[in-house]
Amino acid sequence: MTRLRRHFFAACPREAYQRGVASMMPFALAISVWGLVTGVAMVNGGMTIPGAMVVTLFVFAGSAQLAVLPLLAVGAPLPVVWITALLVNLRFVIFAAASRRYFVRLPWQQRLVAGYLNGDLGFALFTREFADDTELGTTDQYGYFYGGATVNWVAWQLSSFVGIVLGGLAPTSWGLDLAAALALVAVLIPMANKMPAVAGMIVTGVLAVLTVRMPLRLGLLVSIVVGGAVAVAADVWRSRRTDAEPAEMATT
Amino acid sequence: MSGFHDVVYMAIATVGLTVVTFATRSSFFMLPPSVQLPKSWERALRYAPVCALTAIVAPTVFTRDHQPYISWQNHQMWALFAAAAVFARWRSMTAMIIVGMAAFTALRLLA
Repeated sequence: MTRLRRHFFAACPREAYQRGVASMMPFALAISVWGLVTGVAMVNGGMTIPGAMVVTLFVFAGSAQLAVLPLLAVGAPLPVVWITALLVNLRFVIFAAASRRYFVRLPWQQRLVAGYLNGDLGFALFTREFADDTELGTTDQYGYFYGGATVNWVAWQLSSFVGIVLGGLAPTSWGLDLAAALALVAVLIPMANKMPAVAGMIVTGVLAVLTVRMPLRLGLLVSIVVGGAVAVAADVWRSRRTDAEPAEMATT
Repeated sequence: MSGFHDVVYMAIATVGLTVVTFATRSSFFMLPPSVQLPKSWERALRYAPVCALTAIVAPTVFTRDHQPYISWQNHQMWALFAAAAVFARWRSMTAMIIVGMAAFTALRLLA
């Protein structure tokens, strides 16, 4: 067990780990609500209980899990399912690029695991805590990261499992798919803080509603591509207008 | 029609989704340090998730039986507006989901 742990996790001091745990604790309730909703939505939508548990354990990405749910429900083509999850998860590519410098010195297995654990909240707390550090990749930083990640992972998995078990009990007339959509809106609203994002959202939303009858759920991908292109174009236009000011990161 | 009870479909879907999680979260952790994120890509990567999430949420709320459903009788729409207002004001996902679902349930039972 210890050998397995050393293989996949970098060594770190207990004190830093506990600091990481404490930093994530205030968010445990919100994480649990989100996990609960995701678990309920998966099973209530029709997923089997063991299937939902496997998805939760391995995929470990709430917004992507909720996003592909309506697609899986109608048996949409797998490439559409995967591309949708990929698009929702693309923000993590930016997170990875932004926090890589702390982790580059670790062996590949440990980097792989650290990446898997690097979700929205962990990334936000970690980069805020160590933004001014000149020394990168210290054991203190790893401890803090793992501490926060542990709370996040445990709270998420436990609440998801509770939701999965409870999900089968709720009748579909309660409209719990709406709860899933609302949880996604909570992720969406903070992202809609700039004009280009709002423009992209409006175009994507209108197109997604109008193309809902396209076969194989392709209307979804079409609306994302067109809406995304509008957002990028709006961003380019705006940054040209403001004298080529570098566009700031909107992710954290 | 539902894919959930097709074990093979679900298994392949789950494997692919797991690959997607690792491919995105661990992406730059695994690439050699010489590979940098091109500045021009950052824009596209930033806006793709916003649009992808919108493309999922909008039809859930604004369509019914594969038809656009913009109507005063659309309870999900009112619930969404109430929930969004709560989130915009208090930034709490918990409060938002509770208010949104309460509004939806009240409309469903009373309206």
